[in-house]
Amino acid sequence: MSLKGKVALVTGGSRGIGRAITLKLASEGADVIINYFRKTSSAEATAQEAQAKGVRAHIIKANLAEAEKIDSMFDEIAAKFGRLDILVSNAASGVARAGLELDTRGWQWTMDINARAFLLCAQRAARLMPSGGKMVAISSLGSRLVWPIYTAVGVSKAALEMLVRYLAIELAPKGIAVNGVAPGAVETEALKLYSQAAPGQAVKSTPVGRMVQPEDVANVVTFLCTDAADMVRGQIIVIDGGMSLTTSGPLVVEGGSHG
Amino acid sequence: MSVQTSVEETVKKIAMRILRKPEATFSTAASFKDYDADSLDIVQILVAVEDTFDIELDDEELKNINNIGGFVGYIERKVAEKAKR
Ligand SMILES: NC(=O)c1ccc[n+]([C@@H]2O[C@H](COP(=O)([O-])OP(=O)(O)OC[C@H]3O[C@@H](n4cnc5c(N)ncnc54)[C@H](OP(=O)(O)O)[C@@H]3O)[C@@H](O)[C@H]2O)c1
Repeated sequence: MSLKGKVALVTGGSRGIGRAITLKLASEGADVIINYFRKTSSAEATAQEAQAKGVRAHIIKANLAEAEKIDSMFDEIAAKFGRLDILVSNAASGVARAGLELDTRGWQWTMDINARAFLLCAQRAARLMPSGGKMVAISSLGSRLVWPIYTAVGVSKAALEMLVRYLAIELAPKGIAVNGVAPGAVETEALKLYSQAAPGQAVKSTPVGRMVQPEDVANVVTFLCTDAADMVRGQIIVIDGGMSLTTSGPLVVEGGSHG
Repeated sequence: MSVQTSVEETVKKIAMRILRKPEATFSTAASFKDYDADSLDIVQILVAVEDTFDIELDDEELKNINNIGGFVGYIERKVAEKAKR
């Protein structure tokens, strides 16, 4: 599954699932560009881990809620690398509120980072992929299942998934493959914000008998970044250990914060 | 203008704009929660402050700060640390 010599951008690639994706792409030989939001130390640590695998790693701080920051990020990529082979749109944020509690700012923030940023990144990335490339968007099972207070994020992920389908068709003639993955509950720091369920409960509702790990997501994303997946277009692959196929109870979510 | 007033003035402008409150109601003795700040307001204030002063605020360190005056002092320390570098 070698990606030797490829250049990959992973948005939100410094922590959690994004970090696992960055490191997996690096271990397959890709040079990695790690975008992050506020925590430079996490980005630097992940870049060092990637470099230890013998590839180039570059970090770019950019708040993807801002279109101008996305533009300058791509200006920097164009100047430093001259091209891009892989775009992984992974960064996400969102306000955790019930529908009746959602205000326009929370809605806008969530939509801008989770859906619009993929559109803007894909537009710029496509120009850096003159001889083809791969794009993978990280969605969530919350795009199709209803979880309390996941309203804004769930809606933004549904929009993201439709964007994957449109771009897959539009970019197919340009040799760019566009797909997505939809993980269930993944064991990360971010999960704690949304889930009050004891880890045991998530395991119980997962037929495989364990939680999805960031590395499980990274493996599927990396496969979608190879030519082995060339005829997979505009698909959203669910990564949940079979959880969404059963009715053994929803993920209990409560409380609230961005994240 | 001393560094102190300029940091405080800038924080006032940023915070009151994001919180949609009149600048006249700004008080260093208050906390952002007193202005009904939610978590998104807080993140947007932090990001605007970081961008304006070109510094990085540490969420762990911020947990020990309980009013706006403390927040201003913390920013001043970060600005001073940056100047030394
Ligand atoms: N965890 C789960 O259970 C789960 C389940 C389904 C889907 N997902 C999806 O998987 C993806 C990664 O989630 P995660 O759990 O790994 O998240 P995480 O641990 O919270 O990491 C988020 C990453 O995105 C960056 N980020 C946040 N806001 C950003 C912004 N405005 N601009 C640029 N970068 C930003 C963060 O940078 P800083 O560290 O610098 O802030 C960090 O690198 C998301 O799309 C999420 O919706 C997660």
